[in-house]
Amino acid sequence: MTSIATVLFNGVAYGMLLFIMSVGLSVTLGMMNFVNLAQASFSMFGGYIVVLVVQRLGLPFLVSLPIAFIIVGLFSIVIERLVFRHFYGTDDLTQVLLTIGLVFMSISTASYFFGGTYQRIDMPAWLSGQRDIFGLTLERYRIFIVVSGAILSLVLILGLERTKLGGMVRACVDNPRAANGCGLNTQMIFAVTFAIGGGLAGLGGALSANLLGIDPNFPLRYLVYLLIIVSVGGMGTIGGTLIAAVTLGVADVAGKYYFPSFGGFVIYAITIAVMLWRPRGLLGRTA
Amino acid sequence: MKRVLLASIAACVAMLPAGSLRAQESIKVGVLVSYSGMTSLGGQQTDAAIKLFQSKYGDAPGGHKIELIRRDTTGPNPEVAKRLVQEAVTRDKVQILLGPDFTPNTLAAAPIVTEAKVPTFVIGAATTGIIGEKSPYLTRTFFATPQLCKPLAPYAVKNNWKNVFVMVADFAPGHDCEKIFIDALKEAGGTLAGNLRIPTRNPEFSAYTQRIKDAKPDAVFIFMPLGELSLGSLRAMSDSGLKAAGVKIMGTGDITDESYVDAVGDAALDVITTGMYSTQHNSAMNKEFVAEYTKLNGASPRMGWGAIAAWDALRLVYDGLEAQKGAKFDPDKFMAFVRGRTFESPRGPITIDKGNGDIVQNVYIRRTEKVNGVLQNVEIETLANQSFK
Repeated sequence: MTSIATVLFNGVAYGMLLFIMSVGLSVTLGMMNFVNLAQASFSMFGGYIVVLVVQRLGLPFLVSLPIAFIIVGLFSIVIERLVFRHFYGTDDLTQVLLTIGLVFMSISTASYFFGGTYQRIDMPAWLSGQRDIFGLTLERYRIFIVVSGAILSLVLILGLERTKLGGMVRACVDNPRAANGCGLNTQMIFAVTFAIGGGLAGLGGALSANLLGIDPNFPLRYLVYLLIIVSVGGMGTIGGTLIAAVTLGVADVAGKYYFPSFGGFVIYAITIAVMLWRPRGLLGRTA
Repeated sequence: MKRVLLASIAACVAMLPAGSLRAQESIKVGVLVSYSGMTSLGGQQTDAAIKLFQSKYGDAPGGHKIELIRRDTTGPNPEVAKRLVQEAVTRDKVQILLGPDFTPNTLAAAPIVTEAKVPTFVIGAATTGIIGEKSPYLTRTFFATPQLCKPLAPYAVKNNWKNVFVMVADFAPGHDCEKIFIDALKEAGGTLAGNLRIPTRNPEFSAYTQRIKDAKPDAVFIFMPLGELSLGSLRAMSDSGLKAAGVKIMGTGDITDESYVDAVGDAALDVITTGMYSTQHNSAMNKEFVAEYTKLNGASPRMGWGAIAAWDALRLVYDGLEAQKGAKFDPDKFMAFVRGRTFESPRGPITIDKGNGDIVQNVYIRRTEKVNGVLQNVEIETLANQSFK
């Protein structure tokens, strides 16, 4: 019984981790209809910011999280203004090629500045080790991930989907000319949304750095997971991303626990099944 | 005797400044390792070792000026490696090869180097069934899988950790190591608490650690390739509380490789591993080697096994060319010289087997400890002259 509950908890925690990492992509891909694979690079950037802030400057881990969000968010505005905005109207393949190119550039850049090896990140004592809750021995960092994921999804659902900003973004994406005509500053709104997506990617990288390890190949290693979560959840819905991430997280951990010989396959089997059943994802909007 | 020989060779080299040598044919040495992508650390370490070796011993052993030809294998890519070896042999007329790294690359290279008679030093592939079988021109200064996968089984039983759980990465070398370890464990009288094969892409270990917890083993044996799987598995052993509950964590030295053990952090403490080389090895030669390496190449990235394998390969290349002083390079004579050779390396004494061409060397049981605040693999037991079989 306790092992079932522990497996379930670990699955939810893994799902929250996947959610935190992929929600930034969900925002840019879903809300802005822009295929930005470099989101994974923004996550890596967030991870390196944690390394710099915690290891080099000696500031607390919690302080590094908002710093990662803000710096990567600002950085993504710069990239958006310089590069991405010229490609808003282009087809998916062009965007994929452009952004995968940026991913390779980011790998070389990280390698140049930080070297090819993994970075060390020391977690504070209150986030390492285990803690007994309701008779279960749970990992502290996983509890932290679950709580952060819950807060993040609440903030995003209330703040992005249920507000005027969300409506404005939708309007700008669906019909930029009409939105412009109604007095919306489309350029400004795109830039802000892009910054939020980038910042979320940075925050995701910062939160996952401790569990996944930060090195220059981070973007390529985890990009496929981001794409799986976003496509299973349905583009542009934060709730869908959350449901997909938690479902796949639990399925992955439970599959590996009960059927270790092919458990690693479960996450892909579910992805294929969902894609066949609902090609637009679980909560995807129909165009 | 060995020492006298080495010293005299070193003296010879020192007495002959490169400029004053009689002009002789130069020797082209191909260096085929990965310089890019996620395996680029290997190439960096190879180059760092070559740089140090040449700064110490010059670049013209036996009057043969060494010309290095570097090519990037980009990782375990047999089709790339095959093309590079072909080009190196036919176009660049390479006479000796260091690399290619990785088992699939080595297998791709074997038929070409046999046909072209190019002595080839395997400096980054550990699988059995290559050296001595695929080509008479292959020899190895790395290690053979059994050397690192076998010894921890009897060691665990001896320390009364009789019930062992085995966790390997789900790829060919992992399956190799799993079988070798489990066989050795049974032979030593231990029992298998369970075994798991981990997908080679796996960011999440909690399901596996839970299974290990359920099996209640005395110890866990881990074999993972260098990189995020090693990092992730050690972190998981610690985060899940297995280590705190007194389960011993063991594995081959890959999991605590110096190049990323700092990133593993305290989760690496007290892990027991097997290794053929640790920068902590206690010998005068090694202390000098580490000091000079660090001085020339900087303290970061830390030196790992790529460097020592290249260093010892160069030792053999230089000694072999020295032995052919004044004569035209003869690959068969060169191989005959290399095979059966015994010498002192920074890692300890090593022998190239006369019959097989594979390496016989000391294997060390190490414990990961903090030495002056830095995580190090400290050798706690020496198993002398371990066979490659």
